Amino acid sequence: MSRLLDTGLEQLTAIVSKMGDAAEKTVRTAITGFMEGRDVNEEVQELSDMLVTMTVSVEDKAFELIVKYQPVASDLRIINSYMKIAYDFERYGRYAWDISLTHQKFAPSKKCVYQLDLMEKMAEKTLQMVSGSIEALRDNDGEMAKSLAETENEVDKIYSSYLDKLADAPPSASNIICNLLVARYLERIADHATYVGEAIYYIATGEKVILR
Amino acid sequence: MTSYTYRKFKNRLFFVLCLGCVIIAVVPLVSILFEVIARGAPQLSLQFLTQPPQPPSLPGQPAGGIGPAIQGTLILIVLTSLIGIPIGVMSGVFLAEYGNNKYAAVTRTINDVLTEFPSIVVGITVFLAVVLSLGHFSPIAGAVALSFILIPIVARTTEESLKLVPNSTREASLALGVRRWRTIVSVVLPEAGSGLVTGSLLAVARIAGETAPLIMTILGSQYFFQGFNQPMDALPLRIWRDVTSPYPSQIAQGWGAALVLILVVLSLNIGVRVATARRSNGAHARLGEIRK
Amino acid sequence: MIGDADIEKTPAASDSALSSEKMQTIGLSAWFGEKRALKNISLTIKTNSVTAIIGPSGCGKSTFVRCLNRMHELVPGARMSGRVLLDGRDIYKRDVDPVLIRRRVGMVFQKPNPFPTMSIYDNVAAGLRLTGVKRGKSLDDIVRQSLEQATLWDEVKDDLKKPGTSISGGQQQRLCIARAIALQPEVILMDEPCSALDPTATAKIEELIVSLKQNYTVVIVTHNMQQAARVSDFTAFLYLGELIEYGSTKDMFENPTSEITEKYITGKFG
Repeated sequence: MSRLLDTGLEQLTAIVSKMGDAAEKTVRTAITGFMEGRDVNEEVQELSDMLVTMTVSVEDKAFELIVKYQPVASDLRIINSYMKIAYDFERYGRYAWDISLTHQKFAPSKKCVYQLDLMEKMAEKTLQMVSGSIEALRDNDGEMAKSLAETENEVDKIYSSYLDKLADAPPSASNIICNLLVARYLERIADHATYVGEAIYYIATGEKVILR
Repeated sequence: MTSYTYRKFKNRLFFVLCLGCVIIAVVPLVSILFEVIARGAPQLSLQFLTQPPQPPSLPGQPAGGIGPAIQGTLILIVLTSLIGIPIGVMSGVFLAEYGNNKYAAVTRTINDVLTEFPSIVVGITVFLAVVLSLGHFSPIAGAVALSFILIPIVARTTEESLKLVPNSTREASLALGVRRWRTIVSVVLPEAGSGLVTGSLLAVARIAGETAPLIMTILGSQYFFQGFNQPMDALPLRIWRDVTSPYPSQIAQGWGAALVLILVVLSLNIGVRVATARRSNGAHARLGEIRK
Repeated sequence: MIGDADIEKTPAASDSALSSEKMQTIGLSAWFGEKRALKNISLTIKTNSVTAIIGPSGCGKSTFVRCLNRMHELVPGARMSGRVLLDGRDIYKRDVDPVLIRRRVGMVFQKPNPFPTMSIYDNVAAGLRLTGVKRGKSLDDIVRQSLEQATLWDEVKDDLKKPGTSISGGQQQRLCIARAIALQPEVILMDEPCSALDPTATAKIEELIVSLKQNYTVVIVTHNMQQAARVSDFTAFLYLGELIEYGSTKDMFENPTSEITEKYITGKFG
C-alpha cells in the first residue's frame, strides 16, 4: 500500500542520490586535478554551485514532507538525515572548490610541492571515504558507514604527521602554504564523510553514533 | 398520453386514494363528536354538573344532574393513580434497568398481554377477589380493577421512556462511582421524567373511560361519595344507565354525561400533545404514540 | 476524602518503593461472552504522567481502559482475568467495592455526556452529591476549583445555572472533565475525548490534559497518533488485543522496536 508520503520520499531520495554522485565527481575532479597538476577550477566551481542549488531543493522537499505528513519513526529519521547529508555533500563541493582554487593560484609558481607524498596518501584516503559514503548511502549500509571511522582515523594521522613536519620546517619555506591549505581541506572533507556515515547509520538502525 | 403524463396521473391517483382513506378513517370520530356535542351541549349547566340525579320527573320539576358521577370519576382517577402509577413505574424501571434476563422477558410478555386484556374479565375477577371478600361494592374495588388496566400501560410506557435515555448518561453516572439504584433514581428517571408523565397521563385518560370493570365493582349510585364501603357513581356508568333508561329526560342527561366524559378524555390527550409539542425534546413526541 | 474510601486508598506497605507506579496490569485478559478482547496485557501506568493507548479500531483500547475502573464488568456477559493494581492493591479482589474504585479512577467519554436535566453547577457537583461524599453549601468552592482546573471557569462563571447541555461541544467535554475532577480522583481515564470535537476545542483539551498531569495520572485512548505524540509521556500500542510495544513516547515515535509498531505509526497499515 503506497502512502502519500512515499511519493515524496522517493523524490527526496532521488535528489539526494543525484547529489551524492555529483559530490563525488566534484571531489574526484578537484583531487585528480591537484595530483596531476591540472587547473580544473572552472569545472569544479560549476559543480560546486550546482551542489548548492541541490541542497536548497533537498531542504525544500524535506520541509514540505514534514509540513504535509508529520512523519514519524523511520520516515522522520530518513528526512532528518537526508537534510544533514545534503549539507555534508554541499560541503564536499565547497572544499573541493577550495582545493582547486588554491591549486590554481599557487601551482603556476610551483608552490604546491611540499610533502607531496603525504598529500598523495591523504588525497587517496579522502577520495576513498567519499566514494565509501556514497556507496553506503546507496545501499543503506550501516556497517559500511561505520567503517568510515577507521579511514577517517588514518586521514587524521596523516594530517597530524603533516603538521609535525610543518612544525620542523624552516620558517622561510614559501611553498608550504598551498599544501597546508589543501591538506586542511582534505581533512575537512574526510570529517564530513564521517558525518554522512553517522547519518546513514542512524537511518539504518535508529541509533545515534559518534564516528568522528 | 405520454409516459410522463401517465406517471403524474398514477401519482395523483395514489395520493387521492390515500387522502380518501384518511377521510373515511376520520369521519367516525368527527361524526361521534358532532353527535355528542349536538345532543349533550344543551344539557350543560352548573346545576347539571353539580347536582345529584333526580328521578325522572314531570316537566317543570328540577332535573338534577350528574354531580356524583363526575365526583366518582375524579375519585377513581386519584385512587387508581395512587395505586397504579407507583407500581407501574417501578415495574417499568425493573424491565428497563434490570431487564436483561429471561425473567424480564417473560414479565414483558405477560405485561403486553395484560394491556389488551378484556376489561370485563378484569371486572368480574376483582368482583370475586375484592367485592365478595369485603362484602360490599366499593370505590377501592373500582380503583383496583382500573389499576389492573393502568399498570401494564404505565409499565410499558415507563420502560420505553427509560430506554430512550441514552446509555451514555448511565455510564457517566456509574463512572463517577454513583451506585446503581441512585443512578436510576437521581439521573435516569429525571431525564426520562417528561416521558413518564406523558405515559401516565395517557394511561389515565384511557381508564377514565372504562365502563366494564366498574359495573361489578362500584355498581353505580344516585348519591355522592358515601364512604369506601358503599357503591359509587362514575361517568361511564352514569352514561350507560341513563342512555338505556326508558325516560327521555334521562337519555338526554346521558348525552350530557357523554359530552363531559369526552371533554375529560380529550383535554387530557390534547393537553399532553400541546405540552409535548412545546418542549424540544422529541422523546415525548415519540412516546405519545405508545398508548395501548 | 472521607469514610470507607480511606481504607481503600492506603497503599500496601511493601510498595513505597514503587510509588511512581500508580497502576499496573498483570496478565490482564478480557472477554465479551466467548470473544476474547484482551490477551495478557501487562504494563505500568506511572504516577503523574500521561499514558496514551493507541492501536487500530477494535484492538481493545477501550476495553483495556474500562478494566482499569471496573466498567468493563457492567456489560452483560463480560468477564476478565488477571490483576489490576492501584497503588499496589488488586482492584478486582473479592472484598473490593467497585463503586469505590470508580471514585478514585474517574472517566471521561468520547461523546460529551453532561447530565441534561442538571445545570452546569449541578453537573459538576453531581458526583459529590450522588455519592454522598459531600453535602450542603461547601460545594461552591469545589465546583469553582474543578471548573478552574478544567479551564472552563472563566467561560461559564456567570451562567452556572444554565443547563449543562446549553454550551458548545468542547465546553461540554471540559464540563465532563470538571465533573470527574470534582471527586478528586487519583487517575483520570479518557476514552478518545477529542474524537467528537473540532480542532480548536481539541487543542484546548490537549493543553488541559498536559496541565492535569501535575495533580493526576492520566490515561488517554486515542486513534490519533499525532495527538498521542503531542500529549503523552508514555505510549502503549495494542493490536488485536495484545500489547505489542510500550515505552516512552519519544522513543516509540522516533525509533520503535517492533516492526508492527513501525508499520502502524507510519501509516503503512490500519
